[in-house]
Amino acid sequence: MIDATINSREELISYLDAALALEHATIPVYLTAYYSIHPTTNSDAAHIIRVTAVEEMLHLTLVANVLNAIGGSPSLIRPGFVPSYPTYLPDGENDFTVDLRPFSPEAVETFCKIERPRKAPEGDSRLVSTGASEPLLAASPTAEGFRFYSIGEFYEEIIEGLGRLAAEDPKLFCGDDSRQVGPEYFYSGGGDVIQVHDLASACRALSLIAEQGEGLDAGVYDSGGELAHYYRFRQLQFGRYYQKGDKGDAPSGPELDIDWDEVFKVKVSAKMSDYPAGSELAAAAADFNTEYGTFLALLTRSFNGEPDRLVEAIWYMFRLRDGFNRLMRNPLPGSDGLNAAPTFEITVPDEVVL
Amino acid sequence: MTAPSLDDFLALSVDLTAFPETDLRGTGLAGKYLAKVRAACGDAVVTALFAAHQAARAEAAGDPAGFDRALRHRVFSDDCRGPVARNVIKLWYAGTWYALPPEWTDEFGARPAAETSTVTAASYQEGLLWPAIGANPPGAKAPGYGSWAEPPRIDDRYLKGERR
Repeated sequence: MIDATINSREELISYLDAALALEHATIPVYLTAYYSIHPTTNSDAAHIIRVTAVEEMLHLTLVANVLNAIGGSPSLIRPGFVPSYPTYLPDGENDFTVDLRPFSPEAVETFCKIERPRKAPEGDSRLVSTGASEPLLAASPTAEGFRFYSIGEFYEEIIEGLGRLAAEDPKLFCGDDSRQVGPEYFYSGGGDVIQVHDLASACRALSLIAEQGEGLDAGVYDSGGELAHYYRFRQLQFGRYYQKGDKGDAPSGPELDIDWDEVFKVKVSAKMSDYPAGSELAAAAADFNTEYGTFLALLTRSFNGEPDRLVEAIWYMFRLRDGFNRLMRNPLPGSDGLNAAPTFEITVPDEVVL
Repeated sequence: MTAPSLDDFLALSVDLTAFPETDLRGTGLAGKYLAKVRAACGDAVVTALFAAHQAARAEAAGDPAGFDRALRHRVFSDDCRGPVARNVIKLWYAGTWYALPPEWTDEFGARPAAETSTVTAASYQEGLLWPAIGANPPGAKAPGYGSWAEPPRIDDRYLKGERR
């Protein structure tokens, strides 16, 4: 039995910081697969991945709102915020890493592992020993050497901790309301941005994250009637859509059209060191990383008292899309015919001009 | 005769469009464009065009002004290669293959593929004219709600020292 791991505001903030990094870490994974799909092909798969990635961006925003509500300062530019791929995610077996992969059965299998439903039957088995000092995305920030069975377990721990601290400390939700991001900035995905002012709204925000990922109470759909991410990806494995009333292992809706060959075969988890030094292509890849670092700095400002700047951050996302496309259509010399891809080796410039 | 190569086509296109190879490949259409030029003009013409381009490069030996002269002399003022080279420029910028002038087809042969046509549905949105003017292709490559209130993001190299 592991004791509660969240016993102070500081510990809660360290968990929410980890949650912020966790939500973000899934986005390059989904986007790499999404942009690797040849334009105008695989529209079923592309749509499923795209909406999921956009909802991860919602989750990131929801975590930022909870952090701000308890007086934290969300930072997307602290060292190590963007993991070095391949990286570990929590799964209960410590047996898989997350790569930046083109759309492929291997990529979809990873997606299912990322989003897989919680399976710890009892509260005391929510935390498991990592057995090693590997980098983990949803490791417990406060109990060294432990991590969670699933992302759902991780949020369950945070929700419990929030409830406990809120009962002890009536001033827990001391954050400045003007730092909250409102629903007007989010479009093109399911769910809404929830502004967080108290325990009830904080729990709603965090429950939405867990539900959108893995479903409600082990169901296929969440409370908004939306198919959970895990089951959306399972559709790509079954080659068939779910419909209302289906059980998780037997979708009975229309067939999906998937062509695994209509994909830019990009190098898995490419690094800057894979690019020919001094080449035009290496410069393009470095530019992408610089732009991404600037983008993370802009998001950080948006989450620290300037929510209006999210509008600009969204323009940035569209330009990053063009950067993704440009790299992925270029062959990466010396990689046996594979194409280039963003490396997400991000260093945030010391002085970011925004 | 060996088939005209994609590398030669890209080398020519970099000089004709003033866009770097990474951007040209980044459209995802380089292979389709080369196939279009070959189908419309025939491999003999395409091979001669590539050879003239390489000869112009060799003649200039790295001197930009000399290269400009050599390209005009060997490619653009040639009755056969000039119209094809201009068409390659339009193809990259507009994504459309324009029919060659009747004088050209009278002399060098008409092929069904030489008619005016759009190469693929993607070629409109990948046209170089859009990045050249710092705008998105209307109806495609959405730039984000409200971004139209901002001035166009024109690449530094077009500003020639002017400030935005």
